[in-house]
Amino acid sequence: MFAKLITKFAFYLHSSSKYKNIKKVFHNFLNNSDFIYKKYFDSFMIMLILVSVVILVYEVEHPIPKWIDDFDVYLVTSIFSLEYILRFWVYNDFHSSIVREYEEAHFLDKPFSVWKPIKSVLKGKFEYIVSPSAIVDLLAILPAYRPLRILRIFVLFRVFKLLRYTKSIHQFVEVLATKRFELITLLFLLFFIVSTAGIAIYVFEERTNPNINSIFDALYWALVTISSVGYGDISPMTPAGRVISMLIIISGIAMISFVTSVIVSAFSEKLNELKEHRIVEEINKKEEFIIICGYGQMTRIFLKSNTLNNYDYVIIEKDAKRVEVGIKEGYKIIQEDASRHDVISKFNVNYSKITLLALTGNDVNNIYITLNAKSISRNIKVIARASDHHMEKKCKLAGVDHVVLPNMAANRMLLFAITQPAMYRAMYSMLVGQTLAQLDEISTIEHSKLVGKRIEEIDFKAHKLLFIGFQCGRKNEFIFNPPIQIDIRKGDILLVMGRRVSINYFKQLNAGVSYE
Amino acid sequence: MNNNQRVNNQRAFLFGYSKRSLVIAKELQIRNFLLTIVVSTDNAYNLAKDDGYLDVVKLNMKDDNDLETLNVEDDDHLVCVMEDNHFNVFLTLSLRALFPKSKIIALSDSIHTTQKLKMAGANRVIDLYQVSANRIYNILNKPLATKFIDNILSPNSELSLREIVIPKNSYLNNIKVDDFNFSKHGVILVGMIDRRLSNQFLFITSGLEHQLNIGDTMVCIGYNDDLDRFEKSISIEYF
Repeated sequence: MFAKLITKFAFYLHSSSKYKNIKKVFHNFLNNSDFIYKKYFDSFMIMLILVSVVILVYEVEHPIPKWIDDFDVYLVTSIFSLEYILRFWVYNDFHSSIVREYEEAHFLDKPFSVWKPIKSVLKGKFEYIVSPSAIVDLLAILPAYRPLRILRIFVLFRVFKLLRYTKSIHQFVEVLATKRFELITLLFLLFFIVSTAGIAIYVFEERTNPNINSIFDALYWALVTISSVGYGDISPMTPAGRVISMLIIISGIAMISFVTSVIVSAFSEKLNELKEHRIVEEINKKEEFIIICGYGQMTRIFLKSNTLNNYDYVIIEKDAKRVEVGIKEGYKIIQEDASRHDVISKFNVNYSKITLLALTGNDVNNIYITLNAKSISRNIKVIARASDHHMEKKCKLAGVDHVVLPNMAANRMLLFAITQPAMYRAMYSMLVGQTLAQLDEISTIEHSKLVGKRIEEIDFKAHKLLFIGFQCGRKNEFIFNPPIQIDIRKGDILLVMGRRVSINYFKQLNAGVSYE
Repeated sequence: MNNNQRVNNQRAFLFGYSKRSLVIAKELQIRNFLLTIVVSTDNAYNLAKDDGYLDVVKLNMKDDNDLETLNVEDDDHLVCVMEDNHFNVFLTLSLRALFPKSKIIALSDSIHTTQKLKMAGANRVIDLYQVSANRIYNILNKPLATKFIDNILSPNSELSLREIVIPKNSYLNNIKVDDFNFSKHGVILVGMIDRRLSNQFLFITSGLEHQLNIGDTMVCIGYNDDLDRFEKSISIEYF
């Protein structure tokens, strides 16, 4: 009966989109680093931790007003407790496991037991409880219990809690973790030297040296000496003790340099990875960005044309030498293979509007990159470069939204230059977007001064602009050289030609339109 | 009247025959140019011949004496589309030295080569990647403008950009651009080459006052039918 009730409830939760959405929102805020708004939650928690630590440290020697104490005891602790509970909740799902188990049992025609999935989920929850970060979270709540002053030492765990929210500290620990073997070996060596030296000095000087009364004193002296701190509160008095000191000092120098070199090499090995990780993390916070695949001639010209002013971008290039050149030239570039699934999935495909430019010099690669991106998310807009018309067809099949054919575009211009030289200048300006004359769009929005006006009422000539036509927002249809009696409505896009300054000035005058 | 019929009997020399230049050769032939393909290897020579071109010349392009045998005249178009950038620049320089008044048009695939080709004396340099890079920018920022340009460049489109020369006795003679309503004819004047002035292309949006004269070349956008009608109408004498 009880099992039936639980199963029924699990099915109810499983079918409730509201419940799922709520849980997803909390999951995003707590665990999804790709979630755009997580940074605000993280900043809030960091601020809360710092405030509470300051309060607890200040309170050690100074009386604090009651409202501050209440703030720490009730508000901060409540938020920390709530956070702990929410993390416990979103860690895994009871209902999904129960439903999955039920469906499996039904399919295989085997008896269903609700306790099996419950046991498995409880195991997961227990794993969460004993995880280091959850223990820190739990201990960070304890200092709020005022009657036991000793619990205030747990304020340290509030500082540790920062680890969860500050990625740089987290990364530092991660880098050190890569050299775990070397560091553990060194720790054992240190333990061995300190113990040997400690025992030796204890044996030699226990009776002659008044400062060495126990093995603890001897080990303490050995550690202080090997670390090159040398307080001087305990010093060897016999020649044998001094020989041990000399040996321990030499091995101490060697060990310190060894530890330093291990840490430095760990960082230098991980430096590029860390930088690349940071680039990806930064770009993932943007609502809209461009991924440029391939750092060749076309990418360089595209970047140098100063066309990316309004865009956040990242370049992916697999060739190390090209990456090096890109970094030297000051571009945000990472060394990866864009045709790999895990490389593109690193980007925030769920929350950001991504445009991918497949600009490698190889058609096969560009098509593969496109398919890779589209297999991750159909929402990624792809502009790919292709060498000829046959490739254009294949690119379209692969899902490329816009195909750019450099040879065809150049041939077209070349033919213009030969066959219609007068038009060449006009075409070149239109295609290349020279400041002399360029084709531009003016989008109207609700408060634009253009909305509601008839075309004849807009003096394009006075602004040294040429009105070519407009796209009717409602019909999504372009009207070339429309009748001058037509009204401009919200959502329409005007197509004009003129100098860049003229267009910008016209946009400024008609506030509410987009600026360059 | 389309462009193919309008342009003919002009001579063009295409230097280099490779994948890059196949389309150019084909298009020039369609447009009735008297085309001479100049190559330096047997392979390219055979390829051009196999593609049906009759006037194919194989010569040593590094040798000025060989180049002189081409009998290039001042109005001829010299199109440098060699695969090797270094050689393309060298060829441009040689051609400029030999034929100072000819129109040299070259294809480039890097900013640095573009500069060098200009320095070597090319009248027009088409940068393969510059055009494409700007196209990508336009796709991202000006989708409507991009669609419009694609439309007027498409051979099957009803809209097109056309050069129209003001004929003798045209009523447009001595008329100021601002005083004439092009829109009434369904066309938009983008710019013109004023023969009396610098013989340079001037955009209508440059802010200068233009007076139309016989022999000036107007560049107009419009539907093909409107352009045809307009072209026909301006040849009528004004009484």
